[in-house]
Amino acid sequence: MIRRAILTFMLDRPGVLNKVSMLIRKKMYNVDTLTVCSSRVPGISRMTITLREDDEAKVEQIIKQLEKFTEVISAKELDTDHSYWREVAIIQLEVDAAHLESFHGRYNFEVLEKKNEDAYILQVAGSTRQIDSFLDEIGREYIIEIARTGVTAMEK
Amino acid sequence: MTGKKKMLQALKAKGVKYIFGYTGGAIMPIFDEMDKLGDFRFVMSRHEQGAAFMAQGISRASLSTSTPQIGVCMATSGPGAMNLTTGIADAYMDSVPVIAVTGQVATGVIATDAFQESDVVGVMMPICKQTYMPLAAEEVEATVHEAFYVAATGRSGPVLIDIPKDVQDQQLPEDYHFDANNFHPDLPGFFFHPSPEREVMQKAITLINRSQRPVMFCGHGVINSNAGKMLQKFAEKVNIPIAFTFHGLSAVPADHPLSLGMMGMHGTVEANRAIMEADLLISFGMRFDDRVTGKLNEYAQNADVIHVEIDPSEINKNVPTSVAINADVYRTLHVLLGDPMLTFKPRKRWFEKINSYRLLMAEDLQQEIEGSVGDGGKLLMKSIVHQLSELTKGKDLIVPDVGQHQMMAARFYNYQTENSWFASGGAGTMGASLPLAIGVKLARPTERVWSISGDGGFQMNIQELGTIMEQQVDVKILILNNGYLGMVRQWQTLFYDGRYAGTPMQSPDFGSIAQGYGIPYLKIETPEEIVPALQKAIDHQGAIILEFICDPSEVILPMIPAGGGFEDMIIKRPSPTPEEPSATTEQNGEES
Ligand SMILES: Cc1ncc(C[n+]2csc(CCOP(=O)(O)OP(=O)(O)O)c2C)c(N)n1
Ligand SMILES: [Mg+2]
Repeated sequence: MIRRAILTFMLDRPGVLNKVSMLIRKKMYNVDTLTVCSSRVPGISRMTITLREDDEAKVEQIIKQLEKFTEVISAKELDTDHSYWREVAIIQLEVDAAHLESFHGRYNFEVLEKKNEDAYILQVAGSTRQIDSFLDEIGREYIIEIARTGVTAMEK
Repeated sequence: MTGKKKMLQALKAKGVKYIFGYTGGAIMPIFDEMDKLGDFRFVMSRHEQGAAFMAQGISRASLSTSTPQIGVCMATSGPGAMNLTTGIADAYMDSVPVIAVTGQVATGVIATDAFQESDVVGVMMPICKQTYMPLAAEEVEATVHEAFYVAATGRSGPVLIDIPKDVQDQQLPEDYHFDANNFHPDLPGFFFHPSPEREVMQKAITLINRSQRPVMFCGHGVINSNAGKMLQKFAEKVNIPIAFTFHGLSAVPADHPLSLGMMGMHGTVEANRAIMEADLLISFGMRFDDRVTGKLNEYAQNADVIHVEIDPSEINKNVPTSVAINADVYRTLHVLLGDPMLTFKPRKRWFEKINSYRLLMAEDLQQEIEGSVGDGGKLLMKSIVHQLSELTKGKDLIVPDVGQHQMMAARFYNYQTENSWFASGGAGTMGASLPLAIGVKLARPTERVWSISGDGGFQMNIQELGTIMEQQVDVKILILNNGYLGMVRQWQTLFYDGRYAGTPMQSPDFGSIAQGYGIPYLKIETPEEIVPALQKAIDHQGAIILEFICDPSEVILPMIPAGGGFEDMIIKRPSPTPEEPSATTEQNGEES
């Protein structure tokens, strides 16, 4: 299914997040990630929702439903060609230094802590695909714990 | 100055005259203040659900008068607020502006499971257009003003204000200032497009002029924007027949030559057949719900669709549109009527075809209406409604409940007064009629109001007879008693091999009940008694109850089975004792 991102700006009022999640449940959307943060303007938050949906009409419907909330200022779909989608992962894993070294230059990562000879906490940033491929390459079976922020996005 | 006083001042400033409600611990401060101020007529319902429907009645009936009002209902926290929910959900489904004010436990104990605490905002959020909980006295007045603005702007809907008890009593700060006249809620993303855009209008006009077989749809938006007369003019100008949604009824006189009557599940043959064969649907203020369209992939396959609708999320939701006009119906019609390019076409062939459909059931119906009784000799609902219509010349206000009698009232009353039909549609809430009729009567005191219920629905809010008694509300109450939950029984007859599970129903002696409330009562069992009884109700000053003993086997036809397409329309009555399961259709778990 096609992965979509919807960027929406909304008033930072109580209950807005609740409404968005109720909408997602009610309409049974297939949401992957949802991130909220403050925007440049005080009192206005920005939210990025990624979901999987092939049907254009359904995507149009979620945007219209979002826009219908009195608190929502705007909502629109971002396409991959004209926007950046990024996320950050924090990973605790077993890996030896030599193996880790081979990832340098190819991925944007940083060692947050070396726990012992072969256990690290890393931070990886990039597109969802980059992070996925980092995990695949380093070996998902060596991961002890992982935290991902979910996608945040901006138009080019 | 306190929060409670500001609340009431703001309500008054918004033109509120009636407050419907029921007291209790968490709302007592506001009630106490209301009593002291004496600015409102307080109407105590006998159940909070009743208060919500009465508030709806005020909003719906007054919108076409020179003094539109938004209905307000009030309840205490916990159980009081929970009892409002059915009426509020109903208002949400039918886009009725209502303000619900509920008391909440004090801020200090919120979220501690305090006595009578419920998360009212949480419960109401999915069934309200907006919910508020002011947490300080200085927020109260602005909240009320914003609530009214949101409730009535664009597509209307209910709004909740949940106000903690300590906030009601809280003193305003010394430097408090609020200028109601210059107040504009700070909602940068909340706008609507009242006026249509020029380009889409041009496209629409081209389609209209080109169309051979157009049908125009009159929806709730026509009523809500007071555009009935305008729609009629437009229809006459371009010579296009009008089909009505359930909530569009009474916008244009029902016997207008261009009227096709109601469309959809229990719509007329002519409306549904015309839609099936149309090459253009021009839809004003409606949302293509499943009761209107039936099976979507078979719906009006050869038609272009022009959709005029104030709520953009309804456009392209169920039916793809050719031309989307996201605007107010009244303003759109205004622009259309002024356009010199619109042409009148005789459409001789189209109207001949439509007339042939009109005849398909006409004779059967005429016979039934004239016969007035079913096989068992009991009264037919359609005949009662027809005679009421004749007697009142179609001019009165009709408030049905939910069930077969409701569909009979929709089909067989000859609506002449604009905005004279008030019913629970989207939610189909049994029990709505009695309290709704109270609100309608208070909003339109000089007009005659008929509450028409089945034996089932009448007993769902029968307690509101107490309100009628206490407030001396002149509502003419008809109970069409068929001894069954008739509409469900009809489905059982048609789709469940006539097994009547959970539908036969024993009723109390309604005469004794009426007597208990001091309301006159008549029982009608034969056709000859119908007109004299109705006449008695008209002549009597005040509420009266007429109970009609009706035929349980009467069915409302035509019927498009739930989930079926227009091709599946049933127009013949099944034989009384079907040997085979009479009609079959896909059952998709839908409810009547
Ligand atoms: C609150 C509620 N409960 C159940 C239903 C389902 N329902 C729809 S119509 C109906 C039967 C109504 O019976 P009655 O009031 O006697 O009217 P009739 O159909 O017999 O005219 C029922 C049970 C409903 N619409 N609302
Ligand atoms: Mg009944």
